[in-house]
Amino acid sequence: MIETPERITLEEWDQQYKLLQKAGIYQPDYGGPLSRHVEDGDQRLLKLQYDNSAAALRLWNFLLTEEDRLHKARADGKKIIGTMKDLGTVPVMAYSFDNVVAFYPDGAWWIPCVMELSAGLLEIADSLGIDESFCPVRAMLGAFVTGAHFPVPDMLICSVGATCDDFSAIAQRLNGLGHPILWWEIPHRRRAETGEAMVNLTGGFSAPECQVEFVKSELDRIKNALEELTGEQLNEEKLCAGIKEANQVRRYLAELRYLAFTAELCPIPALEMLVAEMLAIHFCSDRNETIAVLKDLLDEVKARVRTGKGILDADAVRIFWVNPVADLQVMNLLEDCGGRICGTEYLFTHALDIIPENLPPIEALAQMALADPMAGSSADRAQRICTDIRRFGAETVLISRIPGASHCALEGEIISQIIQETFDIPVLEIEVPPVTDSMRPTVCTRLEALVETVKARPRVKQRKWRKK
Amino acid sequence: MTRPETTIIYTCPYVPAEWIAAHGLHPCRVIPETADPAFLTARTEGVCPYVRSFICEVMKYKQAGGVVVTTVCDQMRRVFDILVRNCDLPAFLMNVPNTWQSIAAQKLYIEELKRLSRFLIRLGGMSPSTDVLINKMLEYDKARKSILAAREYLSARQYAEAIAVLGRDGPGGLLNDAARSGPLTAGVPLAIVGGPLMKRDLEILGMVEEFGGRIVLDATETGERGMCAPFNRRRLSDDPLMELASAYFGGIQDASRRPDSELYKWLKRQLVTRAARGIVFHRYVWCDMWHAELGRLKEWTDLPVLDIDTAGDNETDRNRTENRILAFLETLQ
Amino acid sequence: MEKKMICAGIDAGSRAIKIVLMDPGNQQVIAKGLVDQGVEQNKLASALFEGVLKNKGINKKNVAKIVATGYGRNAVSFADTTITEITCHAVGVRRLVPDVKTIIDIGGQDSKLLRLGRNGKVRDFAMNDRCAAGTGRFLEVVAQRMGIELESLGLMAAKSLSPAAISSMCVVFAETEITGLLASGTASEDIVAGVQAAIAARIIGMAGRNVEQPIIFTGGVAMISGMDAALQSALGQSVQVSPDPQMTGALGAAILASDRLKQSQDITCIG
Repeated sequence: MIETPERITLEEWDQQYKLLQKAGIYQPDYGGPLSRHVEDGDQRLLKLQYDNSAAALRLWNFLLTEEDRLHKARADGKKIIGTMKDLGTVPVMAYSFDNVVAFYPDGAWWIPCVMELSAGLLEIADSLGIDESFCPVRAMLGAFVTGAHFPVPDMLICSVGATCDDFSAIAQRLNGLGHPILWWEIPHRRRAETGEAMVNLTGGFSAPECQVEFVKSELDRIKNALEELTGEQLNEEKLCAGIKEANQVRRYLAELRYLAFTAELCPIPALEMLVAEMLAIHFCSDRNETIAVLKDLLDEVKARVRTGKGILDADAVRIFWVNPVADLQVMNLLEDCGGRICGTEYLFTHALDIIPENLPPIEALAQMALADPMAGSSADRAQRICTDIRRFGAETVLISRIPGASHCALEGEIISQIIQETFDIPVLEIEVPPVTDSMRPTVCTRLEALVETVKARPRVKQRKWRKK
Repeated sequence: MTRPETTIIYTCPYVPAEWIAAHGLHPCRVIPETADPAFLTARTEGVCPYVRSFICEVMKYKQAGGVVVTTVCDQMRRVFDILVRNCDLPAFLMNVPNTWQSIAAQKLYIEELKRLSRFLIRLGGMSPSTDVLINKMLEYDKARKSILAAREYLSARQYAEAIAVLGRDGPGGLLNDAARSGPLTAGVPLAIVGGPLMKRDLEILGMVEEFGGRIVLDATETGERGMCAPFNRRRLSDDPLMELASAYFGGIQDASRRPDSELYKWLKRQLVTRAARGIVFHRYVWCDMWHAELGRLKEWTDLPVLDIDTAGDNETDRNRTENRILAFLETLQ
Repeated sequence: MEKKMICAGIDAGSRAIKIVLMDPGNQQVIAKGLVDQGVEQNKLASALFEGVLKNKGINKKNVAKIVATGYGRNAVSFADTTITEITCHAVGVRRLVPDVKTIIDIGGQDSKLLRLGRNGKVRDFAMNDRCAAGTGRFLEVVAQRMGIELESLGLMAAKSLSPAAISSMCVVFAETEITGLLASGTASEDIVAGVQAAIAARIIGMAGRNVEQPIIFTGGVAMISGMDAALQSALGQSVQVSPDPQMTGALGAAILASDRLKQSQDITCIG
């Protein structure tokens, strides 16, 4: 564990790296100084602040070398599957095959931020008629056109139905450019009606059995397509093994989240937590390494909590964050303005829950897919958020609107209302574009005002950390 | 015995009117007028004007017995959430699949019709017998055919209104007053393509004709494109519910479909058959589904495409739209 | 002796009213004029018209045909006919650059992209007339906020090494962004370059992927140096500024006026 946990800049990381090297800290083959990524064009790294632990360095290097892994996988003859939108289900299946690597092309939405718009991806999307009125995921189109980021996958699999329109439209545009897509349907999750058998899902949701059966049939279709592509049969045993490995990732992450959100002193920055959660949905193209990276991070956080060390002041306001941000820097700003992350709902909480291992594997995956917060009503989503607010002891909620995302416009208000009906806590909505530099004063004003508002109220005593 | 005033309102073309009618209820397809400034939720940015308007219409429709919303569009899915929280009107969210190629998707649509049936029965409707359903389907089929046959004799606005009246009032003597002096042939033949049109935006059709165009294909959701395919009589008598599903789910092509290749196949056929020389593409600001099709449509077709985006509720839209249509027709004439 | 008849094209734009007088016989420009736009558009247009005629010693009776175009064209009550600015700009630019295939027109309140067919006529067009971002208005806001002349923006932007990213879709909020950038110490040249890039990005959205050369840039904003470079950078293709970019609409209107006059004279002869 690092002696004094703190957030540091990229320049400070170069110094830190030398110390770690001298101390002989283990570095994986993708390891190295963070600053080398700036040379690749990742300009944003110069403006971010990072946790100063070796575990965080490993996390960042792992994230920023994903493209290298994908290219290596292609060179090694592995099949590359681009899984889109479902955020957590199909990769579990894909990684159960021997020679398959799966990733989320949607993840390209961070490229404009990380490269500070220099990659020209958004301009390409503009030229395709997908302008700034669409979600920043539109950067994915640019990535496919240039081929400069990830290798074009051998197969694209995309969920539609109870998803969001602008992603669906962007995927359709990609299809229209000549990229075949295996579309699969996720129905709008509803409660079972009288006479219908009900299935309890993770996250406190439920669905009628017929919907689970439907999703099962869709996942079977995907399985068949993957088997045909790879020439490999995916039997129950293999899939169960894959689920077990995925659950290992989820277990580590669950423990990490609980510690990070409930410890008296915030042990790990919000930005590293965001990156860690994102790893869970597709294992950053290496499932085994994801487990190792998360274990490292978890060990670091445990040590900090045990020794009472943190990176922020004790009175940092505990903020529950709803929706992922297109600009990573906002996670730093949250802390600069006096907040700490205390709960998250980044639209893929179903990918963080443990997949049942006592069910036939396809059935288990179908249940998880249906537990997607986007697949049900806004009220359902709000209920899960309320459960987690209680669990983590958040003092306020921040809903970050994704510019152009079709679901945000109406959903945010409903979620906000339900939270305020349930708890007497402030709820704020802000919009976060891919590069917020010019809006920094505006964003900071809002965050600071939120922090001031909470601090001016009688505050709930911080929960003591205890084992789950 | 159902109350005569039990009206079920909806707006999506994938909701079969004859299914509701066969339950002894009155199906009323609502075409919103224009966005109400006293809208229920404060936000307008990011919210499709059609969606906003539909919510207003539903909240004001005091005579309705229930409302059916579908999942065809993400924002409409959220409309259901809003209605459930803010409106006493019983609401039903019908899951219309975006995928269409698999048997599972087709079966899902039929299962949703059956679930809709249970909802309608709870509202006082009666489970329809096969004969009742067949008769209703034949009535609507006949009415649709009569409207389609009258297309060439009606102005685009009259045609759109005839389709709207069918949706609102059901089959009846709709076209008795339509001018039958002869097919309309003057003007540059154009297609209008896009999602649904609010009543106020039907004036776009009039503008096109005023400035020298002639709409030969109304491929909007509230126009011809939103009408189901004609029923196959043999299949109708064998299994009317299956035929209903086939005509609606299989017959209506839309930008929400994944893939939406069938929409383009349908458009290609229609554009060639109707000899259109240009396309007027209408979308509402914040309708991502249709906005995304604009770039693709322009690459796909050799015909000139005019983009008209409206926010649905102000006079500036009118002037802007007029100017664009005028310029478009200048280029074509 | 019969007095020579002339034609007039009046472009009543959002920022200025422009006029071109033309000899319909050889379609040569006889005179040009410009006045700032105001509230009483018809009066302003009329005064400009009469002023230009007087300067050239031309009697109003010798004006055979007047075509008005532009945003305020319907307010020009003395025009014989109105034609949209899309058609007029295409005709005007084509007169100056005969092989033009794509025209980008950025004015005070709107921007357009016109594609011309093989016959030189407009084949297709796209407009942004809903949002001030992507128009000259955006540049006016920047100039005002930074306390510099509009004409100096180009020179300033040329010094930029790293254009700032302007996120807002709305120019009103972009003003707030600019204030924020200035406060955070972002170099003025980077801000101006960022605004130019934002305007150019709007054009890409209208242009799509297939933009044919030659691309000619016209309209009032074309006179601000640096915008052509911003467009070039965004489109990845060379962009030429039209000769006399502010007058292309009026020129096109005058040409169309003389065409229509000829047509009516031919009909008279045939009759």
